[in-house]
Amino acid sequence: MELSRRNFIKFAAGGLGGTMLSPLPWKLIDDIAIWTQNWSWVPVPARGKFSYIKTVCTLCPGACGIEVRKVGSRAVKIEGRSDYPVNQGAICPLGMAGLQILYNGGIRWKAPMKRVGPRGSQEWKEIPWDEAIDELAIRIKGLRDKGNPEKLAAIDGNQSRSTMALLIKRLINSIGSPNYMFMPREEDTHATANFLMQGTNGPIAFDLENADLILSFGCGLLDGWGAPGRMLSTWRQWANNGKKHKTYLVQVDPRASNTASKADLWLAPFPGTEAALAMGIAHVIIKGKLYHKKFIENHSFGFYDWFDEKGVEHKGFSKIVLEKYSPQMVENITGIKRRVIIEVAKKFASAHAPIAIAGKGKGTLPGSLYEFMAVHALNALKGRVNKEGGSLITDDVPLAQWSDVEYDSVAKDGLIKERVDCAGTPQYPFSRSLIHKFTDAINSGHGSPIDTLLLCSANPVYTIPDSQSFIEALAKIPFIVSFSPFMDETSLMADLILPDHTHLEKIVDIVWPTGIQYPLYALSQPVVKPIYRTKHSGDVIISLADRIGGQVAGSFQWTNFEEALKERVRGLYDSGNEKVSWADIKKNGYWYIPAHSFGRWTDIFKTPSKKFEFFSTEIELALKAYSKEKSFDNALINLGISSKGDEVYMPHYEEIKSGADKKEYPLLLFPMELINLASGWIGNPPFLNKTLFNHQLKRDDLFVEVNPKTASQYRLKEGSKAIIRSPKGELKVRIHLFDGAMPGVIFVPFGLGHTAYDKHLKGKGVNPNKIIDQVEDPLSGQPVWWNTRVELIKI
Amino acid sequence: MDADSKKFSRPKIDGWIFFLVGLIAALIVGWIVFPLVLYSEKSQPLSFSHSSHGPESDAGLECEECHFFYKDGTFSGIPGIRKCMDCHEDPESPLSEDPEEVKLFTDYVGPEKEIPWLIYSRQPDCVYFPHIAHVKMANIECKVCHGDFATRKTPPIYKVNRLTRYSIDIWGRNIAGYKKNTWDKMKMDDCADCHKRKGKENNNACFVCHK
Repeated sequence: MELSRRNFIKFAAGGLGGTMLSPLPWKLIDDIAIWTQNWSWVPVPARGKFSYIKTVCTLCPGACGIEVRKVGSRAVKIEGRSDYPVNQGAICPLGMAGLQILYNGGIRWKAPMKRVGPRGSQEWKEIPWDEAIDELAIRIKGLRDKGNPEKLAAIDGNQSRSTMALLIKRLINSIGSPNYMFMPREEDTHATANFLMQGTNGPIAFDLENADLILSFGCGLLDGWGAPGRMLSTWRQWANNGKKHKTYLVQVDPRASNTASKADLWLAPFPGTEAALAMGIAHVIIKGKLYHKKFIENHSFGFYDWFDEKGVEHKGFSKIVLEKYSPQMVENITGIKRRVIIEVAKKFASAHAPIAIAGKGKGTLPGSLYEFMAVHALNALKGRVNKEGGSLITDDVPLAQWSDVEYDSVAKDGLIKERVDCAGTPQYPFSRSLIHKFTDAINSGHGSPIDTLLLCSANPVYTIPDSQSFIEALAKIPFIVSFSPFMDETSLMADLILPDHTHLEKIVDIVWPTGIQYPLYALSQPVVKPIYRTKHSGDVIISLADRIGGQVAGSFQWTNFEEALKERVRGLYDSGNEKVSWADIKKNGYWYIPAHSFGRWTDIFKTPSKKFEFFSTEIELALKAYSKEKSFDNALINLGISSKGDEVYMPHYEEIKSGADKKEYPLLLFPMELINLASGWIGNPPFLNKTLFNHQLKRDDLFVEVNPKTASQYRLKEGSKAIIRSPKGELKVRIHLFDGAMPGVIFVPFGLGHTAYDKHLKGKGVNPNKIIDQVEDPLSGQPVWWNTRVELIKI
Repeated sequence: MDADSKKFSRPKIDGWIFFLVGLIAALIVGWIVFPLVLYSEKSQPLSFSHSSHGPESDAGLECEECHFFYKDGTFSGIPGIRKCMDCHEDPESPLSEDPEEVKLFTDYVGPEKEIPWLIYSRQPDCVYFPHIAHVKMANIECKVCHGDFATRKTPPIYKVNRLTRYSIDIWGRNIAGYKKNTWDKMKMDDCADCHKRKGKENNNACFVCHK
């Protein structure tokens, strides 16, 4: 009975067996898992009574309603708001992760800062707010004293109708500068297409909820397009419609995006040939006489051949489409089989409520104007303009106008000077802001035409295509002021930081988010008190105007930003549509008119012909004006238009030309946008980094999507390292083989490759903007961001 | 031969004894000692008697009078001290002779301090549980999950798991996790089982509760 080695082992074996037959190990495994959640360093919200604050997310232009859960003064969770008309409870990953933008001190400016070291050295001094605003006021006064107010410029990322955008523009103009610019955005392409074809200036509105066939030209409906929460809840609605009334989705996309994978039919034309595809579909509809005859005959202009006042015959849209865009010709351009083009066209024509929509990815970056017109022409062919389930035309939100700015003589003299970015000049008649021209203007001269640049709600160093040129331009500007709440790439190049609150700390308004089918006005209200010594940019601007004094101060007679909001909101009350006071708006957080008056084709079109214009009179007028300066052919060349004759005034396909040699750069770089990767001026929160797969981001390496066929030509395998080279620069990446990627195209996500922010973002992946070799879109002049020719080099 | 066989067989039996000793010791540790070590006992700050408040008692209160729903549909849970004070308002005229009521007046009603009840059913923060969906929409009785509290004279002993800090009632009082009644356990699988039984399997999707 001695405890020999052998017996001890038996004892141990018995003990082990007994343990396994007892609940101990199984219970411990479960308990240990829960124990790990209780570690002191694991962030867990404090226990306490919940309170909820309803507001609107302003992290993207979509503006979904959110409900923020709080425990005490701490916000602990963001959820979609179910009583809000836009998103009805649904919310995107970025919106959900919004707390990391508020509470991550590592990415935020905590007080006004003044640069003390050389630019870019990141040596800053914290200064009091008064001193900071005074410094800027003195600088602007100096410019005005010297008679150079136009040397002040602003680049704004706020939404076009928002009070913040209006306030910044008012400041710049009242000081005497015409140089108010905003970030390139898709909204403008839509607005211009609407203006040219319908003569309307209202926001774009798509009644997707009631459409039964959606022909989406690249819109990432499930990839963060428009108001992402709206699209998620609309998708749910479509799914609930049942098989019989199911909404049929045709997705035109060079890559099997979320949307393309979920679509009923996926078409992948060569990138940039979408307009040709739309024209091919139009061809089948026109040839088969499948169009809406009443609309075409009574309410459209330029469909049939026509004679002008001088008796000159013009070709109609129908003739040009029939001559130039047969399915076979379109197959040659787009790579889509003619049989498929005919099938899609017939489906579109026979649907009860079809709609065609344009705009790539998340629908925030500018598109091709002629392409948008071509796509909208499909809506017109089927009479889907201002019809249920179609593209709607509505009046703007009836907000009150502020009193007019009273310009003093300095301002008047400054305002007649030409804009640095040439927007609105005869060469760019339909553009209101062109940042790449601003960059060119600064980089081409010796001195900078701009002395002081204000940057609001934007991070152009990161988000502008061909960012390197923009950085060079910034280096030439003597004084840069950033209002960014974040230590982003652009604010790190500034001289003075006047940090704004983040989206959960301030009151701002949302005026009709992109694509929403009814007029909507909403307030985003503070959820928590400002955490740091930041200040609402609206308040800063009002106080800045006050310190500049004179007529400038006179144009800003509000004590704070909220008063400026209140004054505009009075218009809602006065409009009488739906009585609403400031108190109501503050309480409910939003106002909207759900009912829409459909049809009204006789009086909704505000074009010179009072009809829907296939032949745009506005383009004709603009070209006439421009050809007074230059010969007509030169004018066309300068506008980037390669077509001739009547086609110039109508929707058609324009090949986007790239300066790069196709032999040297045989592939195409196509930046893509993902719903779980913030790609705009807001840095991606760490939560979302965690949602990226290992084949998207692995440590610091970004993976780009390449078709296996293309990869094998370069002897690249899954995970291989490679360099993407464009005429503008290089990106070091790794390869992810993806059958859903079009051969010959490299797909790189927007949203990584930051050189600022904290360890969660800085140095992670690469930013395609760095090597985008932008060309100008014909007529609109906006930068084309999806047509960079590149080569792939194995390393 | 005999000597030889003895020589060879004895260690075998000895070995089995060692094995059995190990086995039994481990079983004792696993089934008896482990639960004793794992849980520590705590008593409630007050020995509240549901039976002297409930519908059958003199007080004759309906469950919903204290455990009510707010207008927005959220559940009040355990009532705050103000609710107690609706009845127990004056220390000079207590409603009973129970020393626990004296304690209620001196410790909580007087300073108007919330009673730090230990909650048997407390779930982790990552779980969202709407009472209204279960009580009002599915018409499930309180006791189906909580056991028959209404008739209890004293609250059960509160046992807290030293590792997880949750009450024993989540895993269940049976260390093997065996359950006889629906209210014996409150783990995720128990939620899921019930959803499945009631044909609500769709509600077992992760984001229904973890949001």
